Amino acid sequence: MTKYIFDWGIIRDNFGALMNGLKITLYIAFAGLTIALILGLIVALMRLSRSRTASWIAGSFTQLMRGIPLLVLLYWIYYGVAAELNLNFSPFSAGAIALGLTGSAYMAEVYRGGLNAVDPGQREAALAMGLRRSQAFAAVIFPQAVRIIIPPTVNVFVGLLKGATIVSVIGVTDMLYVAQVVSLRTFTPFELYSAAGVVLVAITVAIAGFSWSLECHLGRGGNRV
Amino acid sequence: MSKSANFDLKPVFDSFGLLMHGFGLAMYIAAVSIILAVALGIIVALMRLSSFAPARWLAFAYTQLFRGLALYVLIIWVYFGLAVALNINLAPITAGIVTLALLNSGYLSETFRSGILAVDRGQVEAATAIGLSKAQIFRSVVGPQALRKIAPATGNQFVDAIKDSAILSVIGVPELMHETQRLAQYYFRPFEFYTFAGALYFLAVLGVSYLFRILERKLSNKTVESKRFFSFQTSQIPNN
Repeated sequence: MTKYIFDWGIIRDNFGALMNGLKITLYIAFAGLTIALILGLIVALMRLSRSRTASWIAGSFTQLMRGIPLLVLLYWIYYGVAAELNLNFSPFSAGAIALGLTGSAYMAEVYRGGLNAVDPGQREAALAMGLRRSQAFAAVIFPQAVRIIIPPTVNVFVGLLKGATIVSVIGVTDMLYVAQVVSLRTFTPFELYSAAGVVLVAITVAIAGFSWSLECHLGRGGNRV
Repeated sequence: MSKSANFDLKPVFDSFGLLMHGFGLAMYIAAVSIILAVALGIIVALMRLSSFAPARWLAFAYTQLFRGLALYVLIIWVYFGLAVALNINLAPITAGIVTLALLNSGYLSETFRSGILAVDRGQVEAATAIGLSKAQIFRSVVGPQALRKIAPATGNQFVDAIKDSAILSVIGVPELMHETQRLAQYYFRPFEFYTFAGALYFLAVLGVSYLFRILERKLSNKTVESKRFFSFQTSQIPNN
């Protein structure tokens, strides 16, 4: 058996292309997060609303989106919905929508946890002062909830970033796609996938560390009553 | 315009047997990889809690690595990359199960660690005082109490493993997602097939969480607060 020789040159030669792919991975994760932040808030507010129908719909949506694999959702949108409605999604937007839908179910729970953690007395006091319900939400409750929401949001982003690596299967030219295409040409999958893996772990571990320090930082004022 | 898109489930029902076969394989993969992940997770959790510093560092690096990696990246690294480097030929299903087990063990070890740490110190002290050995303490005092605490999170991880098993389709494991892709292409009914696959995964997730809910109930002597039965949880972050 011959010893395998790790070809660093391949990584050096294709590093720029890999980084361009990484940019797309990050873009798509951010696009997914943006959808998740907006849709998730709507779902959370529906879940917490007094209307039982709205609450039920939001609860079912959350369960459904958490119960379906991202890959199935991705194919369902990119091939299924596209064929059924005669639409044409770009791979990027199909990926962002799939990530956004999954993410919104997780974000809805994050928002719900954060909003529930704000002392109900705050809301009562705001209403007693004559603020409207929307004002009480926007000016009193939400700003306090944000402190609790931020760290788990960063974790959701890490999850979406990891999920975003799968979008190359529908042809998004992300980091993994670049690694695949180049290794088909040069037959060096080990080098290129290793490089992609190391980059991904470095990013996710760095973000997780950031989230952890953020939690410590934001938690400092939390005990001030 | 291409074809008129009438919703037609007939092709799906015609291939029901194939889909169910794929579904069975997906459940098998999830179950085997979770069993392996629990075994690995316990070892890593005990290493993290050990008094031997290098074991702690090693276990810490292990959890960071496998929680930071995406399943898709790891699976193609193992199946396409490692296979070339080591000049071995892995069966897709073996590569898939090993990869799923490694990733899930990273998450589970953290769960187990916090479960073990959540057991009151006094329990260990009392067990030591009556002369039990370390192994005995773990087996008959800390373990059973920790088990109760970690059961829900382990159930969540199982649910995630079922969902994640769909990714094994990229290396050609003929599980549910792979069969669905193949059939959707063959009949050109992507909407029907992917909707059906989504429903199957959803039902599996619902069923497994239901079983774990019963298990949780069995493990705890207290009556469980009225949780809604047909609901489930996954881990707190989207985990693929």
